[in-house]
Amino acid sequence: MVVLNKKAFKLPFMEREKFLLLVRLGLSYDRTTGTFRVANYNNLAKLSGTLAEILGADEITFTQTCCMCGKDYSCNECKYLELCDTKNLPFQCICGQCLREGKTFKDTS
Amino acid sequence: MKEDLLWVEKYRPKRIADVVGNDEAKTAFVNWFNNANRTKKAVLLYGPPGVGKTTLVNAATHEFGFRVIEMNASDTRNEKAITRVAGPATAFAALDTFSTESKGNVLFMDEVDGIAGNEDRGGVSAILRIIEDSRIPVVMAANDPDIEKLRPLKKVSTLIRFYQVRIPMIISLLQKICQKERIKTEFEAIERIAENSRGDVRSAINDLQSIAETTKMLTLQDTEGLSARNKDISMDETLRQFFSSKSLLDASMLLSYSSVDYDELLMSIADNLPLRYKDPDELAAAYNFVSRADMFRGRIGVDNWHLLRYFFNSLAEAGAVSPKSYEPFTFISPPIRVITLFWTKGKRTMLDGVCTKIGQRCHVSRATAKNDFIPFLKVLLAKNKANNVVTWLELLPEEVEFISKMSRF
Repeated sequence: MVVLNKKAFKLPFMEREKFLLLVRLGLSYDRTTGTFRVANYNNLAKLSGTLAEILGADEITFTQTCCMCGKDYSCNECKYLELCDTKNLPFQCICGQCLREGKTFKDTS
Repeated sequence: MKEDLLWVEKYRPKRIADVVGNDEAKTAFVNWFNNANRTKKAVLLYGPPGVGKTTLVNAATHEFGFRVIEMNASDTRNEKAITRVAGPATAFAALDTFSTESKGNVLFMDEVDGIAGNEDRGGVSAILRIIEDSRIPVVMAANDPDIEKLRPLKKVSTLIRFYQVRIPMIISLLQKICQKERIKTEFEAIERIAENSRGDVRSAINDLQSIAETTKMLTLQDTEGLSARNKDISMDETLRQFFSSKSLLDASMLLSYSSVDYDELLMSIADNLPLRYKDPDELAAAYNFVSRADMFRGRIGVDNWHLLRYFFNSLAEAGAVSPKSYEPFTFISPPIRVITLFWTKGKRTMLDGVCTKIGQRCHVSRATAKNDFIPFLKVLLAKNKANNVVTWLELLPEEVEFISKMSRF
């Protein structure tokens, strides 16, 4: 399983058609840094499949953002990974450290 | 009074930010809601039960100052009913927008995938017309958007998908509730409840309440009962516990744990109500709930299992009409209808056999044979003029005797 940072990741050089396909599936490309990021989540399953093909990986997952501390982290660190049916979306979860510290949601109302 | 509330209601988020999980879906819904030039007038929120679809709609409308006109699965949603309720609400701007802080109405149709059967005939086409003519936002929610009858609705709606809420999020939410209820907890206990919920926040909170409501310290040992969710509880045991439940929540939890056949359960409870409630008013109220449960059972059919909780809730209400008046009684089990079918099985088999023979000879259905031919045959037998017919139909002596003695058809 390959974990990609959804906000910025690099890909090997690829042919034009593949690049256009990735953009159509929801990636955006930053010319200055040469990195891709996930801009649209509607075709995430297809996008993951195409990326797995390009990278020669069996599975692609993206980093999660902890909704308590804001840190990006990989699902590989999660002890509930096997029980989780939603590997990619939604992109927010709670990291192991915040869970251990017993951080809870704050009321906004 | 506040203490009697289900925690699911007590801690239901009032603001969008308080809805746990599914941030992409929340953003998409808010963007759609706030976009005055939205390309599609309707939105369909879909995803498994207990992930916050209804809660998000209520929180968003509350936050943005809209009033919700709701039609949920407990309403009959045929063409006439939808047009009557939703038609005027969507065709005109709300009058109270001029006098109050309300910014208008939102039509919310929950469980649209539950629109089925004869009661809801024409429902989907009525919704389509409402969406087409509507001047207000139309929000729909469904568990399974892939069913065939929702295809036309999907074409005219913006689709927003909700996912199961992840275990760490549920753990954090349960810890927050425990803090507010001043309950000390073992982390492993909360963890087990969250794991057992399978991403369903509502069931996690219900489980927590059923275990922790009466205690100030929640331990892992307290959660051992949760594994009973899939255990077999016999019909006798289910009925015994059901009729002696001390609260609506107890009854509801018991029904969701039990794995008895739902139709048998419904009939058994209906049969036993006169033994349970002596007061006619209470009995009438209980039968009213059973009737509602029966309606939901019909709607569940074979593929609308997300409506099961309404079935359980209605049945639980039937059992908890008057918990204080409970006195142990000898209940009837299995249901009377099943007993009757058992007693009459031999007779029904015999009649079926005769009808099959008539059907084959006369090229008619068994129902026609039963309704049109058997009474005539009985008259012939009574007048001793049936010998030729009996020979032609190849009826056995015991079949002839059975028809002669039949009291009704």
